[in-house]
Amino acid sequence: MDDRLLIARVQAGDASAERELYDAHVERVYRLVYRIAGDADQAQDYTQETFIRTFDRLGEFRGDAALGTWICSIAVSVALNGLRRGKRLRTREVALDEAGTAAVAERASEPDLRDRLAQAIDDLPEGYRVVFLMHDVEGYTHEEIGRTLGVQTGTSKAQLSRARAKLRRSLAAFHPRTTP
Amino acid sequence: MILDDQEPLEPEIRDAARSYHEPPPVPRDEVWARIEARRAGRRSQKSGAPDAGVRRVRFLVWAAGIAALLALGVGIGRLSVRPGATGGAGRAPVATTAVPVVSAPAAGTPGRDAAAYRLATAEHLGQAEAFLTLFRASVREGRQERLASATARQLLATNRLLLDSPAATDPRLRFLLQDLELVLAQIAQLAPEGRSEDLKLITDGLEQDGMMVRLRSAVPAGTAGTYRQGAL
Repeated sequence: MDDRLLIARVQAGDASAERELYDAHVERVYRLVYRIAGDADQAQDYTQETFIRTFDRLGEFRGDAALGTWICSIAVSVALNGLRRGKRLRTREVALDEAGTAAVAERASEPDLRDRLAQAIDDLPEGYRVVFLMHDVEGYTHEEIGRTLGVQTGTSKAQLSRARAKLRRSLAAFHPRTTP
Repeated sequence: MILDDQEPLEPEIRDAARSYHEPPPVPRDEVWARIEARRAGRRSQKSGAPDAGVRRVRFLVWAAGIAALLALGVGIGRLSVRPGATGGAGRAPVATTAVPVVSAPAAGTPGRDAAAYRLATAEHLGQAEAFLTLFRASVREGRQERLASATARQLLATNRLLLDSPAATDPRLRFLLQDLELVLAQIAQLAPEGRSEDLKLITDGLEQDGMMVRLRSAVPAGTAGTYRQGAL
């Protein structure tokens, strides 16, 4: 799909183009803001706000990066500001019971690892957490992260490295050999 | 901590991480309906333009302040690296933890280059500190400064040059520049009509990260003082 053509159609007031643009990017936006927020209601709010801002500012899109990257940068900004406003992350109520019923007996310790890991991720500084979630969880490249967050690729790599080091330290009890 | 360690996490941890805030299926239609409703509501209650005159005055005040800051920075930089100057230890902005002291090197030597980079870094950090101080103050007073994003973009460009320069070989300085890059990027990406609460949230983040304290401890006292005297 040609982003420029789609943008031109949206700017010309083509309602079906707006929906096309939304459909093309909503999956990625929702997944990203959900990973950051951890709450379905907040994720919906942030996704909604992201696309409203996207449509409002479409004229500012210069095409330096892919349209999807630009939209994701709005999404991250919306989600982080929203979380700071709320002053709290979602209370950790991981569905360990569901995970536990699916797990085999040999992996009985996994819920503990997940719980501890989730807490460790929550405790990461904001910048580290976002880079870690984007790279190691959602599979973004450092180049995409750099363009999304407006930072250099090297910064993204450094933040990821520090995030991993912190997580390894937090999980040393589970994986003593991973202690840096 | 090993900075260059790009080794992936162990498979068990990686797998567990994927279950962190695992997203459910996207409620496409539900969210789209909300987007349409909100946009339709906004269209119907579109009101008049904001007070453009007040905004323009604020813009000019900010522009004048930042221009003065930059001029001071350039002036100080030129005075400090003037040919023939022996770089007395009392004048050179090198007595900090992040910017190690060097003796005055001869012109054209690698040592002189390093000193120039350190000087440029000190100036940049001084400007960043002054900018963030002004930014915080304006947010605290409830003002929305339209020039903040443009200034942040300028500082961001310098920050990137320094990150790519030998100045960033000092790990502590590199960490500081990288963290500063994130903050400046956030401000640079603020919408022109950025809401005051968004601005305040950024300043809250600054305090939580201890950015201002780190900047102040990294900026040579003499240089920072000059910036502040000139700027405020």
